[in-house]
Amino acid sequence: MLMLGIETSCDETAAALVESTADLERPWRIRSNVVASQVEIHREWGGVVPELASRQHVRDICGVVERALAEGGAAWREVGAVAVTEGPGLVGSLLVGVSFAKSAAWALDVPVVPVHHLAGHIESIWLAHGNVPLPAIILVVSGGHTSLYLVPKAGEYRLVGRTRDDAAGEAYDKVAKLMGLGYPGGPLVDALSVEGQAARFPLPFTRLTHPDRNAPDRDHRFDFSFSGVKTAVLRHVRLRQQELGVTALPDQDVRDLCASFQYTVVETLLRRTFKAARWFEAASIGIAGGVSANRLLRAEAVRRGAQARVPVFVPPLALSTDNAAMIAAAGLRAHAAGRIGAPDLNAVPNLVLHANSEERPPPRP
Amino acid sequence: MSAPVVSGSERETRAIAAALAATLAPGAVLLLSGDLGAGKTAFVRGLAEGLGIDPGEVTSPTFTLVHQYDGGRLPLLHVDLYRLETADLDELGLDADVTGKGVLAVEWPDRLARVPAGAVSVRIEDRGADARAIGVWHGDTGK
Repeated sequence: MLMLGIETSCDETAAALVESTADLERPWRIRSNVVASQVEIHREWGGVVPELASRQHVRDICGVVERALAEGGAAWREVGAVAVTEGPGLVGSLLVGVSFAKSAAWALDVPVVPVHHLAGHIESIWLAHGNVPLPAIILVVSGGHTSLYLVPKAGEYRLVGRTRDDAAGEAYDKVAKLMGLGYPGGPLVDALSVEGQAARFPLPFTRLTHPDRNAPDRDHRFDFSFSGVKTAVLRHVRLRQQELGVTALPDQDVRDLCASFQYTVVETLLRRTFKAARWFEAASIGIAGGVSANRLLRAEAVRRGAQARVPVFVPPLALSTDNAAMIAAAGLRAHAAGRIGAPDLNAVPNLVLHANSEERPPPRP
Repeated sequence: MSAPVVSGSERETRAIAAALAATLAPGAVLLLSGDLGAGKTAFVRGLAEGLGIDPGEVTSPTFTLVHQYDGGRLPLLHVDLYRLETADLDELGLDADVTGKGVLAVEWPDRLARVPAGAVSVRIEDRGADARAIGVWHGDTGK
């Protein structure tokens, strides 16, 4: 089965071809993976402009799909099904991909397969590394998402933790902005932190040891919070600006704040991830999403995994930032399970991944 | 504008927001201003609580721009324009049906090209540690 994947939920217009193989350990093979990034356009604007984003998707979608077919050496008639991100995301952007996928599937007389964006990120682990040991704990961490999923068996996703406020990537962007750095903030803060001393500006860890007082029925979940660390960086910036009587902080201050922020965020992410892995007795850990490109997060995750004797899987950058190969892979999984879309398939901006997501973890053994 | 109320904690901020939510009618628009970390999203959590929506569902919409929360007395649309330079509410693809029947809470309203008529402004200022000054008045933020 050759799956055409389409992803337009946010910045990237992406298309990819992924085929199923006879190899049970590595069931999917990437034939092509094409991304037309809008980051250049968005940097000029300081963010994603929704109308602009959807207009760019409209402009780019045909060319990106044509290129995915050409690079994959495939003709339209070889496509067995079309997988598309139905949500979550910006409605105008999602609609471009969904409309294109439905039209292409109708013209080819093949099924259209709706995919949750985060299911795509989770499946990027399987796409890059083949079948990983189960149960697996997967951290999906990006600009818009910070969620922990338990995968008890392939294709089953249970939400066991998520951010209660800001996503980790969003915190990176905001901290970069309040220190006068550019967009996107993640790579900039990561690079500057290399030469910084994290100990100079210690930042607080948000403790979520008590049940969420906003939702007390959700105790035991492995939630995150990044709003407090963002505010703490702001306090340090303000204080140093007052102390020094400047608006732009000295380079070393910026580097030290970046290092401290990075240390705090990475520690928070990994402590929760490994705690969840112990709780669920996970046989492997995966880290997906754009923030998995973070140098410290990757290195520390692998080091701690070796220490805990749990293998850690991180897909290469091309599969961890938004892409359509992961959507095609999740589509192949869904299609094999008989989950295909109805003709009235529509974009769902607030889509939740799986109704069983509220299930409580089993009691500690 | 009445004198700002000083809140000593996030819990108090949420209670102030919940009390405000109880007074809102369908179609209400709230413009929430304040610096990064002032507690705008926490305020929206209080609005949700006051409308009878699970406040645990409220997370930052900075990246996704719009979150919609249903299940309360009125639906709540939570918009965050932080990442935009200028914005027009009409371009966000908001469901007109929901905005007419629900409450629209907008963070970073200074990005708005046009401020909706009849909007209520909420200004949150950091007074150190967990203390916040919260001012509420009718009309836009004056920016």
